[in-house]
Amino acid sequence: MLPLPSFDIVQPRSARDAVAARAAEPQSLYLAGGTDLLVNLKHGLHAPRLLVDLTRVEGLGAIRELPDGGLALGAMVRLESLATSALVALRAPGLATAAAAIAGPQHRRAGTLGGNVLLDTRCLFYNQTEFWRASIGFCLKKDGEHCHVSGSPKGCVAAQSSDTVPMLTALEATAHFLLPDGAAHTVPLAGLFGKDGRYERVHQIPTGALLTEVQVPPRRGWVAAYHKVRSRAAIDYPQLSVAVAAKFEGTTLRQLSLAVGAMLPAPRLVGPFDDLFGKPLDDAAIDQIALRVGKACRPMTSVHGDPAWRRHMAVVETRRALNSLR
Amino acid sequence: MRRLVPLHVNGEEHEVAVSPQTTLLEALRYGLKLTGSKQGCDKGDCGACTVIVDDKAVLSCVALAMQHVGAKIETVEGLGDAGGPSPVQRAFDACGALQCGFCQPGMIASATALLRQTPKPSDSQGREALAGNLCRCTGSTTIIEAVRAAGDARSVLPDAADGTFPQQVPMPHGPPVPGFQVIGRRARKADAIGKATGATAYADDIALPRMAFGRILRSPHTHARIRSVDTSRAAAMPGVYAVMVGRDLPTPFCVIPWTPDEHALAVDKVRYVGDGVAAVAAVDEATADAALAAIVVDYEVLPDVLDPSEALAPGAPLVHDTDWKGRPRTDNICKDVSLSFGDVDDALARSACRIAGEWHYSGSTHAAIEPHCAVASWSADGNLTLWSATQVSHYLHREIAKVLDIPEGRVRVIQPAVGGGFGGKSEPFDLEFCAAWLARAAGRPVKILYTREEVFYAHRGRHPMDFRFELGVSADGRIEAVDSNVVIDGGAYHSFGLVTTYYAGQLLPGPMRFGTYRFNSKRVYTNKPCCGPKRGHGSVQPRFPFETALDEAAEKLAIDPIDIRRRNAMEGGERTVNGQLVPSCGILECLDAVERASGWRERYANLPAGRGLGVATSMYISGTAYPIYPNDMPQSGVSIQADRSGRLTVFTGANDIGQGSSAVIAAIVAEETGVPPEWITVVAGDTDLTPVDLGSYSSRVTFMAGTAAIEAGQALRHILCEAVAAHWTCAAEDVVPLLGKVIHRADPNRAVDIITALRLAEARLGRPAIASGGYRTRAVGGDYRGGTIGASPAYSATAHVAEVNVDADTGVVRVERIWAAHDCGRALQPVLVEGQIEGSVYMGMSEALYEDHAFYDGGGNVGPRVRGKHRGPNLLDYRLATSLDTPEVLASIVESIDPGGPYGAKEAGEGPLHPAIPAIANAIWRATGARLRTMPFTPDRVLRAMGRLDS
Repeated sequence: MLPLPSFDIVQPRSARDAVAARAAEPQSLYLAGGTDLLVNLKHGLHAPRLLVDLTRVEGLGAIRELPDGGLALGAMVRLESLATSALVALRAPGLATAAAAIAGPQHRRAGTLGGNVLLDTRCLFYNQTEFWRASIGFCLKKDGEHCHVSGSPKGCVAAQSSDTVPMLTALEATAHFLLPDGAAHTVPLAGLFGKDGRYERVHQIPTGALLTEVQVPPRRGWVAAYHKVRSRAAIDYPQLSVAVAAKFEGTTLRQLSLAVGAMLPAPRLVGPFDDLFGKPLDDAAIDQIALRVGKACRPMTSVHGDPAWRRHMAVVETRRALNSLR
Repeated sequence: MRRLVPLHVNGEEHEVAVSPQTTLLEALRYGLKLTGSKQGCDKGDCGACTVIVDDKAVLSCVALAMQHVGAKIETVEGLGDAGGPSPVQRAFDACGALQCGFCQPGMIASATALLRQTPKPSDSQGREALAGNLCRCTGSTTIIEAVRAAGDARSVLPDAADGTFPQQVPMPHGPPVPGFQVIGRRARKADAIGKATGATAYADDIALPRMAFGRILRSPHTHARIRSVDTSRAAAMPGVYAVMVGRDLPTPFCVIPWTPDEHALAVDKVRYVGDGVAAVAAVDEATADAALAAIVVDYEVLPDVLDPSEALAPGAPLVHDTDWKGRPRTDNICKDVSLSFGDVDDALARSACRIAGEWHYSGSTHAAIEPHCAVASWSADGNLTLWSATQVSHYLHREIAKVLDIPEGRVRVIQPAVGGGFGGKSEPFDLEFCAAWLARAAGRPVKILYTREEVFYAHRGRHPMDFRFELGVSADGRIEAVDSNVVIDGGAYHSFGLVTTYYAGQLLPGPMRFGTYRFNSKRVYTNKPCCGPKRGHGSVQPRFPFETALDEAAEKLAIDPIDIRRRNAMEGGERTVNGQLVPSCGILECLDAVERASGWRERYANLPAGRGLGVATSMYISGTAYPIYPNDMPQSGVSIQADRSGRLTVFTGANDIGQGSSAVIAAIVAEETGVPPEWITVVAGDTDLTPVDLGSYSSRVTFMAGTAAIEAGQALRHILCEAVAAHWTCAAEDVVPLLGKVIHRADPNRAVDIITALRLAEARLGRPAIASGGYRTRAVGGDYRGGTIGASPAYSATAHVAEVNVDADTGVVRVERIWAAHDCGRALQPVLVEGQIEGSVYMGMSEALYEDHAFYDGGGNVGPRVRGKHRGPNLLDYRLATSLDTPEVLASIVESIDPGGPYGAKEAGEGPLHPAIPAIANAIWRATGARLRTMPFTPDRVLRAMGRLDS
């Protein structure tokens, strides 16, 4: 059996104790559902001395409606709850679909929203065992100098592979953190991810910050769709994904936000589409949007699937997602 | 730092010693000895470790034990046991959903959690809930049936609700077939309830006192000379018991005794990434891993060859510098076979329609959910016992004795329950030799369990094959000529290589009749994991060019694709163009069956765009006519020992790897002796106890061990009848055993129960009533060099119709349904035959669409060391179809009754896979107009073939 490395574990009961525990041990990581982190530890991608287990932290598991009609989602809300919550379906259109598309059913019961939002970027040259990674001389993302995807040593292009992130980005959600000094810190989803996919660089947050909540702004009257491209109907990470959220008045398009996932370290927000607002979302408008998505997308070999086909799929799924909203 | 934590498991509080990094699975399996939950992939990709936590099915291999303090944990053992199996466990048993049984504890956990929430789930809810539980045996059909049935237990087991199961449900529960008592009846599998309750022990479930854990250090290079291996630091580490390197076991081995080109560990050079170099045994796996990290190997990296075109180029680096006799080699050709039957060139010239081109069949691997595992233990008097997840305990027995240089009589190989094989466990592997050597050196038992990554490197899976292929057909649709040039990518070692090379040519003629035939088949060494026999060894690949070319010919000649196959269909008693006698052949009935079931006549030409039907056929051997090492002894032996209690113990060397061979043998013995199957214990695959059977490969077991079982059963029946006749003072011919009793033929009211009969027999004999039987080699095959390879005493036949839906915008192929009709001679156990058909169809479909055992060629932006590395040796990157991707499989059985088979039976385990790939390809053409000649049929390939995606 592929063993886990040695580490110690603490199981704080409050968010404050959790950030304190991490602050006290620089080589520490948060552990939520474990479905991704424990695999990464088995792969030798991190070597923490301490895991701060969040399963016993109180107050991180709620789904609440906010007074303004928005939605607050605790970081420890399990993905299955997200996928099946009537409130989520009502207040965060598209998010339940995205959550239901994550991995397999067992992963969704253990995996959490927080874990999925802060999912490490993925790459075929990175998410492998230590033996395999050593055999290729490692990669830029971890322990090596060469990026086997771009060929360049400049930056890691591992793919943002969360299913919730593109949807939350399109919904203009915000991520709420507790900092080690006890202060609160808010980052819009669109600004949460940097251009370099390395684990220690990609998340634009202070070290040791604890994601406590994701808030979706009021989206009453909005419609949304999440289309995930994957080989199998279950288990797989996205090969590409299109998340779109829109607001109509009658048939008139008022707002539109579109994010493409599984290409680069950050979700690709395509737009703005202001020029299309105030008009119906007709075939010509959909053609326009699909064209822009096609131009904006350059899938790479970091994830499965022929890049040219994945780019084609960005266009196809954009059309389909938009059509489903009309 | 280990600490005691309380875990609430199966209704009881336990104190379990765990470390922070102990997974829940490890705590259950190794801490609490609840080995029902299985380890299949190391990291949450397969679902075999699924348990129920607070009423939810979750993965226990990617969860820490310490996170579960205070939770209510349920494992398969807690859901029910042999005394009171749960409705889900009963339903899995009753529906035949348990083949190897390895993934089922996880499935049963998922199904149980689903049913608690949704008592009567729909099939699609069942598929959704089980989409994270991979199963390689069943292809989901019977699993989903079981989930449905468990929602209404009374529908499958009328008396299941009163708690009297299993006694009240006899093993045969279908109506008897005319002329038989047990054979042909629908029946439960004798070992199924043990598997459903987690009681069955697989190799990794074995724990011996003082047992150490072995690990193998593997090469990170595709090709390198080993200058030196320094194990001194590893050997000095605390907790390390023994360390070995290649020269400790210098005798080479191979499953084929003529071609030993492989060592337990590499001696002079490594030939692929994953080749073993050194091994250690230590107090635990973590210590063993640390010891591996302390071993220093000095490699001289050599240029490599990654595919046959590189390997065959002039001056190419040699994978093997010498052959197994030490003679220098000059090329990388492992085996080269050319055979010709009739004047192919003339026949092609005469053909009204010629289809020619190049096809590529991609590699795939078995991916049995159980990783290979072996446990070795030496007695103080120098005898070795080796438990191994093997399909071939006899060949393993021979090679272990040879390589360890000890007499065969000092080696006992025991095959515990095997969690799936499919050909991936049908030869010796490094872990078996290393466990045995390390156990001797360490003076304690040693277990080695492969990681999932190591399973990918051990491989022995489907050979990639490149075809230059031409088919000539007459204007009225007769196959005039087939000309096939095959280049086979063999990987680093020989394995069954010479057989593969022949099979790639020899097994193609039939069930279609060829006018003339010529093939050249060349297996080439490359610096990649060694290929070998995967379900339909060597013969699945050529079906792809042949059956798709035949479809093209039908199109060009405007003949219906089923009709063109009818016009060429062989009949029983014919010989193939290459001289193999096919005693029985039900291909016409198979074609009729799939044509009818699929509504072909009405639907083929009338489906909307994007939807298509495709047909394909195949034929496969029922065992190889000759043993791998020539000898005059039986290829299979069965003995029966009767006890005066009424129980029979049947001893067979046949390896039950989940296909149910032990159930088949029990049914045969029951049929012959009148002893009900539930009173029969089958002891299988233990070389100290059981007569030799050559193993579970080449679809030989039902035919050969079945024949031996009939002979043994008849011998015991004779003993019984003589004894009862003597008791009644009548002639033995007047006495006949029926199920549970022996009666007088003329006066059926005159009867003794079977126990009395057995006692009469023992008394009359004055010694235990023991009988034996054998299967002896029958001389068959073509009369030319190589004519005995591919020769079989019988051949099965299969036809598939696949229905696909192709999304013209995305290229995504959805296989909606496959109708599969398989001629297995007589179906001795129909539930098992259907299970083999469904599993075969699933496996073929999965490799057609999803699987690709592929390696980086060094192109693109990759660094210099990426070349030759596996593209993802794990069950996430290597994608096996899930329950949601699996089509509805509609299996039907055709019984041609083979004159030489046991009760007329032939194989069912491998043949039904073959047509899936070309049937899907042909259906894709029908749906899109695009002919695919490269596998797998990924959406980008489909779109490109349709001209809808730039290259």
